[in-house]
Amino acid sequence: MSTILEKRRFRDLDWFLMLLAVGIAIFGTWQIHNAQPEANYWKKQLIGLGVSLVAMMVVALTDYRKLVYFAPAFYIFGLVLLVLVLVPGVGHKVNGQQAWIMIPGLGTFQPSEFVKIPTALMLARYFGRPRTSILSWHEMLIGGAILALPVGLIMLEPDAGQAITYLPLLAVVLFLSSIRMWLVIAALAAAFVTVPAAYYVGVKTGAIKNYQQERINVILDPENADRRGFGYHTWQSILTVGKGRIVGARSASDYSQSRLKFLPEPHTDFIFAVTAETTGFIGSISLLIAYAVLLSKLVVGARRAPDRMGMLVIMAFVGGFAFQIFINVGMALGMLPVIGVPLPLMSAGLSAVLATFIAIGFAISIRLRRFVN
Amino acid sequence: MKFEDDSQNLRLRLNVVQGLVFVLLAVLGVRLYFLQVVNGTRYAEIAENQRVKLLPIPAPRGTIFDRNGQLLVDSRSIYNIILSREDMRGRDFNSLTEPLAEGLGLDPALLRERFEEVKSQPAFEYIKVKENASHDDIGWVEAHGLEFPELSIEKQPQRRYPDDSVLAHVLGYVGEISPEQLKLPKYRDNTEKPYRPGDVVGKAGLEATYDHLLRGRDGYRKVEVDSRGRIQRVLEIVQPQPGQDLITTIDLDLQMAAEDQLRNSVTKRGVIVALDPNNGEVLAMASYPTFDPNLFSQRISTPEGRAEARALLLDKRTPLTNRAIKGRYPPGSTWKIPMGMAGLEQGAITIKDSNLACGGGITIGNKFTRCMGSHGSPALRYAIQVSCDGYFYRLGLKMELDGIMKMVDDFDINKRTGIDLPSELRSWTPSREFKARFNPRDPNWREIDTVYASFGQVHEFVTPIAMLRAVAGISVGGKLYVPHILKEAKAVSATGPFAALASYAFDRPDPKIVPLSEANHRLVMDGMFDVVNNGGTGGRIKMDNFEIAGKTGTAQVASLGKDVGANKDHAWFVSFAPAYKPEIAAIALIENVGFGGTHAAPTVRAVYDAYYRKTRHAEPTPALIARK
Repeated sequence: MSTILEKRRFRDLDWFLMLLAVGIAIFGTWQIHNAQPEANYWKKQLIGLGVSLVAMMVVALTDYRKLVYFAPAFYIFGLVLLVLVLVPGVGHKVNGQQAWIMIPGLGTFQPSEFVKIPTALMLARYFGRPRTSILSWHEMLIGGAILALPVGLIMLEPDAGQAITYLPLLAVVLFLSSIRMWLVIAALAAAFVTVPAAYYVGVKTGAIKNYQQERINVILDPENADRRGFGYHTWQSILTVGKGRIVGARSASDYSQSRLKFLPEPHTDFIFAVTAETTGFIGSISLLIAYAVLLSKLVVGARRAPDRMGMLVIMAFVGGFAFQIFINVGMALGMLPVIGVPLPLMSAGLSAVLATFIAIGFAISIRLRRFVN
Repeated sequence: MKFEDDSQNLRLRLNVVQGLVFVLLAVLGVRLYFLQVVNGTRYAEIAENQRVKLLPIPAPRGTIFDRNGQLLVDSRSIYNIILSREDMRGRDFNSLTEPLAEGLGLDPALLRERFEEVKSQPAFEYIKVKENASHDDIGWVEAHGLEFPELSIEKQPQRRYPDDSVLAHVLGYVGEISPEQLKLPKYRDNTEKPYRPGDVVGKAGLEATYDHLLRGRDGYRKVEVDSRGRIQRVLEIVQPQPGQDLITTIDLDLQMAAEDQLRNSVTKRGVIVALDPNNGEVLAMASYPTFDPNLFSQRISTPEGRAEARALLLDKRTPLTNRAIKGRYPPGSTWKIPMGMAGLEQGAITIKDSNLACGGGITIGNKFTRCMGSHGSPALRYAIQVSCDGYFYRLGLKMELDGIMKMVDDFDINKRTGIDLPSELRSWTPSREFKARFNPRDPNWREIDTVYASFGQVHEFVTPIAMLRAVAGISVGGKLYVPHILKEAKAVSATGPFAALASYAFDRPDPKIVPLSEANHRLVMDGMFDVVNNGGTGGRIKMDNFEIAGKTGTAQVASLGKDVGANKDHAWFVSFAPAYKPEIAAIALIENVGFGGTHAAPTVRAVYDAYYRKTRHAEPTPALIARK
């Protein structure tokens, strides 16, 4: 009986999803190599990928319901890590952000990347009971609190980039938990009206300083904004992307934007610009399509989930991934301000790649149990 | 959906989320399309331009020699410390002031001033932090490459002019091209040797006239730089092609003799020019007071240099002016040579009957204009010898204004000579229009004006070069050559992409021929011969074995009685030698010293002495100073 189950499990594993994710990650490793051919980031990424695959398989073959059941424990453990990282001597500072914990022999890891998983599980656990009624204010408050704890701790690092990637987790979960439609529409409408209005008033009253205004100008008109100062990163990223043209820049590695240090952080935050430079429109649009397919596969998995909880887990991850992709690529294409958000499966970083594959492991586990009912 | 939970449109909501995801990805895709497919070529170009830098290697300018191959001007290499703006990338210049001032021994105030100056110019690429850097300075920059990667060393050829300002006005000087100059067609449309901001160009003298020959073609180093401007590798080196060397017609020995005379003259203001009347080659051209061209090529960027240049510009003695081509002076009695020549040619007098009354002066209406002596009724030869004003008053009246104007036009005195120096002025010569402009209170031409116009006062102000050209032309029987200083530009061999340049001999324009009857010519020659050799007004410079012919002139600056001190007469002497077979013609003008025969003639004699030593290889006989 158990062997039959094992066989069936293996047969029913979502191999396509796995291969797609691994494919993107290997493609990403190649780009990391292009970005920093002399550094060993790409080797580390390969090792990380190996570890991640094991972690993904473990999660995939574990019943997600058990894991969600223990979500509060994971969640508290995650919060403890986020507190630990703030403790001087334990937390490790890079670029002014105290976001890493040094593990002797293994390197550094970034709790804020992992805590997304227990947070999503906690949200799914809380909102995953079969629903019969409209979402109440009380429920929304609890959901907000679940999110606020890790986000607050991350803001103390301070790592605003990571913190905002938590927001879509709650947004998607609330949206799929019968939040009143008028609330959604009202929130969107309010954002559309108040943000420009606040900006206008801020400029008029002087509450928004010149340098802050300059940051906005960089996005509105990168070519004519302060290209040597605030707009430098955005402008260089646009050049790097544009330079790839249709098929990618020839012998790019010899005098690539990253090698000549015009493009900052090429192996992490600006990995998409490197991809666009080396593989051109063909390569980078293919990557976007691959993301679209990957996210669609996840949504399909969510639709077929055996219960609300599983559906919410997957959709929370979908929201998180899609948001990160949009923020990161939008930044590389000069549409959004420069925020340090990694591109899922592409950016160098063990924590990010491991967390992403664990999330995918959940999706596979949930899909695997679609017939078990 | 495995679970029955459709009450809140869950399917719809899932579709909304999925749709939103696709919309966001599609937005990215469209943006990507515009960046890479639509505008990719432009961005690639911009990226390429920030990666590849062309560092110019300035071409050495051509060297200038005198006619015997003596060095006049050359260039030497100096090193400048420059700061690349690109590499500053928005950082504050002020943070550099202190460390640079300390490290390179500069005045922080001056450095700050320079930074301020360039901030207002959007287009600049480099700031010169220090010119002519020493070995220590260069060592300091190299040692601090990590701290200040925006600093680099640039090798630049610098013009070096002779000491003691020799030939300053003729050589001119170089300087950085001005924005106004860059807009002129001469510079803007030169595709052969394109001009760029910051280029060094000739600003005056031969440097300006022959900038196109002297200027080389700049080479460059094409390098790949990183974001901080550090050179990663050299992609290509194109060596510069030096400019063409110039051989001038100047004889340095004659030039030195002339300058020595001016330097030791009473007022130290004046001109001496010598040329070969047979072809127009200028052998010497000295103008005093003078200036040091090295000021403009080397010191102008220092505060002291700028103060020095300002002082030169404001100096009332106009040391920057080349008096030979830009000074206008009443010619005084030197005017009598073209007058006498034209009087004969026009038939106002004849060889047989060239006698006119002196009368000790002339009375027109109620105004008496006196002659300096009483000469009876002299013939032309004697009138020239003793410079009889009365004679020429009457000659002028016979020729009338039209005759004088024809004379002026025949001998090109009313035109620029066409010498190959920039900004030559045209002389003012007698005409009804000139009088009307010159004396608006009494604009009509009267008989008295004809008298004035005939002895070189009041109605004519001529440049020394125009006067010399007219007399030199007469001396060789009516051939007026265009005076010129360039003899030859040397060939330059091909370098890299630059083709070889052939040598270029000065393209001498045909002389203006003024038909003179041989007998008439002879008579004027005789008169000029007598001025020096037969006890005339220039008798004191008589020289054995080398017969100088000439004419003195003493031009009034103020009316009689007031002609003392600063208003003393200008002293002229125009001449050629040997008298009947001229090899050299020379003119001298000394401002406000007095009698021409006393002050101008001896300065010319010094030039002839130098010429005599060179060509006759013998010591000239001393001048007869005792003679009045």
